[in-house]
Amino acid sequence: MSTQDRVTINKLPTGVPGLDEIVGGGLPEFSFNIIAGAPGSGKTTLAHQFVFANATPERPALYFTVLGESAIKMLRYQQQYTFFDPAKLPDSIRFINLSQVVLEQDLGAVLREITDEVEKANPAVVVVDSFRTMVRKPQSDMELQSFIQRLALFLASWQATTFLIGEYAEDELRDNPIFTVADGLFWLRQTPERNSIVRKLQIIKLRGQDSVPGLHTFRITDAGVQAFSRTFGLTGHLKDPPSHRRLCFGIPELDKMLGGGVREGDSVLVAGSSGTGKSVLATQFIAEGIRQGEPGIVAVFEERPQAYAERASTLGLDLDTPQKDGNLTILYLRPLDLSVDETMHSILDAVQKIGAKRLVIDSLAGFEMALSPGFRADFRESLYRMIFALTGIGVTILSTVEVDESFTEFPFSTYSISFLTDDIIRLRYVSIDGQLRKIMVVIKMRGGNHAKDIREYEITSKGVVILGKRLTNYQGLISGIPRHSNRSEPQEEPAEEPRIGSKT
Amino acid sequence: MAPPEMRDLARRLLTCEDLAGNTSEPIESATLRVYEKLRQSLSVFAGSAGFQSLASRALALARSEAPSLSAARVSADGSLQGLGEFEPQIDIDKVGAGEYPAGEGGIILIARLLGLLLIFLGETLTLNLLRNAWPGASLDDLNPGNRRKV
Repeated sequence: MSTQDRVTINKLPTGVPGLDEIVGGGLPEFSFNIIAGAPGSGKTTLAHQFVFANATPERPALYFTVLGESAIKMLRYQQQYTFFDPAKLPDSIRFINLSQVVLEQDLGAVLREITDEVEKANPAVVVVDSFRTMVRKPQSDMELQSFIQRLALFLASWQATTFLIGEYAEDELRDNPIFTVADGLFWLRQTPERNSIVRKLQIIKLRGQDSVPGLHTFRITDAGVQAFSRTFGLTGHLKDPPSHRRLCFGIPELDKMLGGGVREGDSVLVAGSSGTGKSVLATQFIAEGIRQGEPGIVAVFEERPQAYAERASTLGLDLDTPQKDGNLTILYLRPLDLSVDETMHSILDAVQKIGAKRLVIDSLAGFEMALSPGFRADFRESLYRMIFALTGIGVTILSTVEVDESFTEFPFSTYSISFLTDDIIRLRYVSIDGQLRKIMVVIKMRGGNHAKDIREYEITSKGVVILGKRLTNYQGLISGIPRHSNRSEPQEEPAEEPRIGSKT
Repeated sequence: MAPPEMRDLARRLLTCEDLAGNTSEPIESATLRVYEKLRQSLSVFAGSAGFQSLASRALALARSEAPSLSAARVSADGSLQGLGEFEPQIDIDKVGAGEYPAGEGGIILIARLLGLLLIFLGETLTLNLLRNAWPGASLDDLNPGNRRKV
């Protein structure tokens, strides 16, 4: 059947930020949906957001309450959310209590009550909260199945988009007829992860259109439910074609080592132990971008934006002015219970707001610590999704990562993520002539050739400054304990050459 | 004590109903008619049990201020019993002049009920609900200074 012969299924806004993307553009009109989950998982709030987003005086929403939360208390609490518009009650949104008929009569009477109200009001949206309590009375399977079937048929025929809300357990999925009849099944979960609570949403099924599979994190704030798609809202976005532009650090010798700079849209990893200047290099990268007219984002986890800007000013880099001008955003992401998806949402918002071209994540260790413990286990997978999504829209990412110095290894990261990065710059301490000096080497550049030189550098009041020529008089520099290559000196037992990138 | 603005609102609803009662509605206490409208309106979304709970609480609060309500009771379906014998018709002239001895218990009961709605639902939803039950009434807000006459 050609596309033009197919019936068009209208998509209704869910009213939940991020959820339209997850359900494939909006909820199918006239669909019969279940919102399932444990008490407190956000079912009612999600349904209210949908109702407030779609109800009009001409096509109102009917919200049937049954035995669960008292309607008065429900309205008392729900009106605390910013989406709650009291002016919509009762013309556009009507609450109808079915407790009495459910308690005193059979399912046939309940169906009659619902059909009477629907025929009177001609609603666009119908919600039954909680449907689970409505059908809890003992009845035969056939009676229950018949009731669900007739209810679904009736509401679809009357062109209503329906949500049935219920406290279902996941082991009921197989046998409960309601899940067979439903067009859409939204499952909300909240699980404790050590001291944090993680909320996740899954679209178990949605007839008629593609939804984004998997578990999506969500948060309930004073604006209601906010969902964070695993695809970060970038579904359908075509990856930008590879760019041949090079982005400089503004450190001439380093830019030369990089063949003119890092390729636009690359993911760059700057690895080194504490005090080697990773953040300084990252700050110079951002500052140079701003100088070149490329807005930037810095995501910091270990210090406040003001402290970050003040530290930059000691290097002669002014981050205050570009912040005021809208060319720089320093994001301080609330620690301890973030999901990667929320972090990404904040970063993407900032990227889109200022049209950022460069992003610094300082640091991956801080990022990991800011996540809820449950998400730390998936950190590598999450980084993969994040880097893929951001570089896909042309953002060049520079991440810093702290690595423990070792004299037997030359690790690039503690996260085994070097495969996610296009370019790696490694900083490390070396012991030379009784001094602890610093060296820098470009380990890899996926987009082209780069210098193989090992260069000494210093951190000065002007930032990272690369000194002199490459260090030719030493062997075993990357071990941290080099030897002069002048063989006239007494030979010592050579130190074992470290394994390069053994923890990549 | 029932807040003055709730008493004022209750009095205006009672007046509104009393005026309606003088024309086409059956003769019964204005208090009962206001109460019955509230019951029907609230029971739709809160259920009979929900309304019955609120009304029982309102009656208990009102009794402490109006001994004439001692015989009144809220039945299981939320309807008010035993009020009519003790609550004569409101004297409109006196109500208009700020005196309402004859209907005082009814005013207090309705004021308490409205007060509970205000506590639980807030002003906007409460006024929306009243506007729905009394479409002709002008209910701008609960501030007497801003209000037009019912």
